[in-house]
Amino acid sequence: MKIVIATSITPFVEGGSTYIVDWLGKKLEACGHEVDILRFPFSEDHAEVLQQLLAFRLLDLSEHGDRLISIRWPSHLLRHPKKVVWFIHHYRSAYDLWGTEYQSIPNTPEGIALRDAVIAADNVGLCEAYRVFCNSSVVKDRLEKFNSVDAEVLYPPLLSPELFYSAGSGDYLLYLGRLTRHKRQWLAIESLRLTTSRVRLVIAGQPEPGSEFYAEELQGLVTRNGLESRVEILARWIPEDEKRSLFANCLAVVYFPLDEDSYGYISLEACAASKPLLTTTDAGGVNELIIDGANGFVTPPDPELIAHGMDDLYNDRDAAREMGEAGQERIAELGINWARVLQRLLS
Amino acid sequence: MRIGWFTPFSSRSAIARFSRAVVGELSKIANVEICHFSNDDLQQTTVPVLHFSSAAAVSENVFSRYDLVVYNFGNHLPFHGEIYLLSRRLPGICILHDFVMHHFFAEHLLEHLNSPGTYSLVMERLYGEAGRISPEARIWESDEVVQYPMFEEVIRGALGVVTHSLFFAERVKEAFGGPTRRIALAYDAPQEVAMKRGELGVADDDILIVTVGHANPNKRIEDVINALGQIGDSARRVSYAVVGSCPAVYEERLRGVARANALEDRVHFLGHVPDDVLRSYLANADICVNLRFPSFEGASASVIEEMLCGKPVIVNDTGFFSELPDACVARVSLARHGELVTQLRRLVTEPEVRARIGANARQFANSEFRPSRYAAEILDFAWEARSAFPLLRLADQVAVELNRMGVTRGKRIVDELATGMNQLFCAEKSGTPLWRI
Amino acid sequence: MRIAVLNNCVPFLRGGAEHLAEALTLKLAEYGHSAVLVRVPFRWHPSRHVGEHMLACRLMKLPNIDRAIALKFPAYYVPQANKVVWLLHQFRQAYDLLGTAEGLSENSEGRETREMVVQADNSYLPEARKIFANSHITAERLNRYNHLQATVLYPPLLRHDHFTCAEYGDYVLVPGRINEAKRQRLIVEAVHHCKSNVKVVVAGSPERLEDAKTIRSLIGNDDRVLFINRFISEDEKVELFSHALACAYLPYDEDSYGYVTLESYFSKKPVITCTDSGGIGLLVKDEITGLVVPPDPLRLALAMDRLFDDKVRARRMGEAGCELVESMNITWDHVIESLTK
Repeated sequence: MKIVIATSITPFVEGGSTYIVDWLGKKLEACGHEVDILRFPFSEDHAEVLQQLLAFRLLDLSEHGDRLISIRWPSHLLRHPKKVVWFIHHYRSAYDLWGTEYQSIPNTPEGIALRDAVIAADNVGLCEAYRVFCNSSVVKDRLEKFNSVDAEVLYPPLLSPELFYSAGSGDYLLYLGRLTRHKRQWLAIESLRLTTSRVRLVIAGQPEPGSEFYAEELQGLVTRNGLESRVEILARWIPEDEKRSLFANCLAVVYFPLDEDSYGYISLEACAASKPLLTTTDAGGVNELIIDGANGFVTPPDPELIAHGMDDLYNDRDAAREMGEAGQERIAELGINWARVLQRLLS
Repeated sequence: MRIGWFTPFSSRSAIARFSRAVVGELSKIANVEICHFSNDDLQQTTVPVLHFSSAAAVSENVFSRYDLVVYNFGNHLPFHGEIYLLSRRLPGICILHDFVMHHFFAEHLLEHLNSPGTYSLVMERLYGEAGRISPEARIWESDEVVQYPMFEEVIRGALGVVTHSLFFAERVKEAFGGPTRRIALAYDAPQEVAMKRGELGVADDDILIVTVGHANPNKRIEDVINALGQIGDSARRVSYAVVGSCPAVYEERLRGVARANALEDRVHFLGHVPDDVLRSYLANADICVNLRFPSFEGASASVIEEMLCGKPVIVNDTGFFSELPDACVARVSLARHGELVTQLRRLVTEPEVRARIGANARQFANSEFRPSRYAAEILDFAWEARSAFPLLRLADQVAVELNRMGVTRGKRIVDELATGMNQLFCAEKSGTPLWRI
Repeated sequence: MRIAVLNNCVPFLRGGAEHLAEALTLKLAEYGHSAVLVRVPFRWHPSRHVGEHMLACRLMKLPNIDRAIALKFPAYYVPQANKVVWLLHQFRQAYDLLGTAEGLSENSEGRETREMVVQADNSYLPEARKIFANSHITAERLNRYNHLQATVLYPPLLRHDHFTCAEYGDYVLVPGRINEAKRQRLIVEAVHHCKSNVKVVVAGSPERLEDAKTIRSLIGNDDRVLFINRFISEDEKVELFSHALACAYLPYDEDSYGYVTLESYFSKKPVITCTDSGGIGLLVKDEITGLVVPPDPLRLALAMDRLFDDKVRARRMGEAGCELVESMNITWDHVIESLTK
């Protein structure tokens, strides 16, 4: 088949929403399909959103390809008779963040009208789709609640999970991921402070553009609490080999971003490396992957309780290893694999 | 909501009086400031008042004081010229007090800007082929001016438009793609003690009939005199006062008509009189005659005042007057000859009819034309207009780009885009194409 | 700088312009910039889609971008404060192709579209801080129809240091996509008239199956023609050039000189082309760097024979061609510098 994959991007920013597109393209080509990927720059500034939504709507792809797979919002507005939406990244300010402190659209008549227009446009793009999938139950519920759309959950797999491995249980907890406040590496440090064991913490990841001060803040937090001997911060891009090695030698992975839609590739990588994952009840999509006591711990976002989890892992390596091994089962249980993805997207 | 209310604020201006009354009520439910360019004696108010020397003197900082600005427009250039210039810089809600704005633009374009070319361009842009009329024709001095009202030029780029009659609102919708609302005109009758009949020189047992305001042919005074000539003996007791200035030639003509009907000592031309005298005539009137054909105004303050005074008013069936309830007025159709005679005879000879209609009129006017009602409605409309803004702004943006591509109104792509935008962004398919080029 | 290269695209189709856009993006990164290639899908049939796609481009935003380099219609309408146009293509259907089979139709829709395109080009192209064009023909067309000046900026090869000249062999190489417009069939017909032992190698993938069939049937049983009917790799191409006598590139009326010409000269091989091939005339100087003949198989045969019989001359012409290219500064240094100044 000839398949067009369409997505939105912020130029020069890489992350979960760019990898899913790249990897899907590779996997489709590996199965003999012809793929063309369209990546549209998009600005999330609310003053510029409506005009860009209209721009997407005016582009006509109906003559191209047997199928269009649209991924990141608002590429679902593109028109094609066989449009399959693998929906990621709601414009949450218009949805569940409306009415909270994270709402970025002003609470004025103009803002309300903008919000309503975004929702109306989303409904149009989604309701005309041939199929709608999404990347987590969190998103599925939101699509149902706000857009009355019944989407099927289709979990995004890793490109090469077989490259991850475990080299035994080390003595450090690994917190991988972009260094930015809502990923909450700071909470891991706060929690480590309250542990009773000698468990260590390695925080590794690229500082987010515009949040460079955050890495300094983390370092400051370590110093102020006298944790220099137990916390290591690698504030830089981590190449793949090094990343896999960090996974392989860790005791467990720690990951509790605030209220994220998807479980994130980090947690999937943890499972692929047979490591247990420590997360919190308010982390969002991670909770679909990690079951408390089965392949990791899920605690309320309280530093003391998190510290207990950290100590438990350190003090009982065997249990930790067992939970880690359960990670692979969980992946299989949820059907997180490319064969399934391709079968569903092309059905 | 923080509102900047731009208006004439001179004590001489009826619109200023309107603004004072409405803003007084509006300030109870929103943060309003009166903004004006007047240099005369001003209306009295407790609401904050900001004076500017000109539109150019209004800085960007001032704009940021308000969530919304309101512009009051009337046909008189000296009162509204600076407001118009300001409205070009900052979109706001336009309140159109007058349907015909042609005199305003004639003066602005021909005398101030000295640009007959621009006048012709605007006329053609608004009215197409039919608008190709030379400034020398001075079309604004004839009845034909109602075909070329030019209010469309005032409201270009507005956030929203308010009119005071339904017929005008319909006309606006044809020309303007944004939110439009008709709100019943607010009127604030000054409380004064009227002079007695004796002081006015009117006999106590006369039936006093009054027509107020500048005597224009469109007030059909000639028809009234002729009709009085046909109502028979009861005309002997009538005193018809035409209260307001009247051009000499026209007055001569009307006197001739009076003579022809043997009514020369029953019809009185008072010319321009001070306000308190005019009010006293109204207060003492038995019947008011307020005909307009054709109609130049967006609504009529005079008939509202007459109704607030509890008077039966003879009106015709055009424009704003056709929207007044039947029970509150004595309506005639100028197309059907003889109705004016019938109504006049009935009102002159039947005091119970006068009383009944007058009472209905007062009750209706008190409720309909209250400033507090206007304030509530305009605040509600402000909300509606602000909600329409994001999509209107997008429509304007698209219009600008289409213009740059040389696309004009009427081309297929324009309709397709309007439909497309509606389908994409308007959940309830509310229909009005957000279109303006 | 953070740079967006703006190009239009038709999904699954990749031609010279797409390769140039990709090459430019790569080169910008090599020279230290952050570059991203933005491909805007474009549909022009039926013609009512043209206006919509033009408008879509006007409504797009480019966050995180300091400069845009736009290559084609309608991608060059995307607003950006610091835009440079390197014009590869206007919408020729509205200009010089108007009135031909490929042009916009003569009905009211076609006329409306044409007016929009011309007005838009006139209105938006001047937004760019500078306009470059990939050939003097493109620049001349822009001047004629839109009264706008463009500086000619020649597109270089992605790399050229890997081309070599092993020998002046016995075959004329005819590389590139096989289709009607490229006119490979002329050379194949010409071979039948050759008196010397010169051979021909046609190497490239056909645009359609019929194109391959045409060539094959023209070759018949003649074993002087080798038809490599597939996409050839870069390494294969370098080898083929290295051992060739000369190269033949004779498309019909192309704007630009074609990469093949550059590849030939970097391999120090002369180029045979035709009088009506278009922009290639800039680089192929008759008798100096190659041979320019009328599009007639007999004349082409003569040209091939001449080179076969006088390899010294062939070498001289090939070297002269290489010098010419170098003197014209068709380099990435020059291109990147011009586009990012």
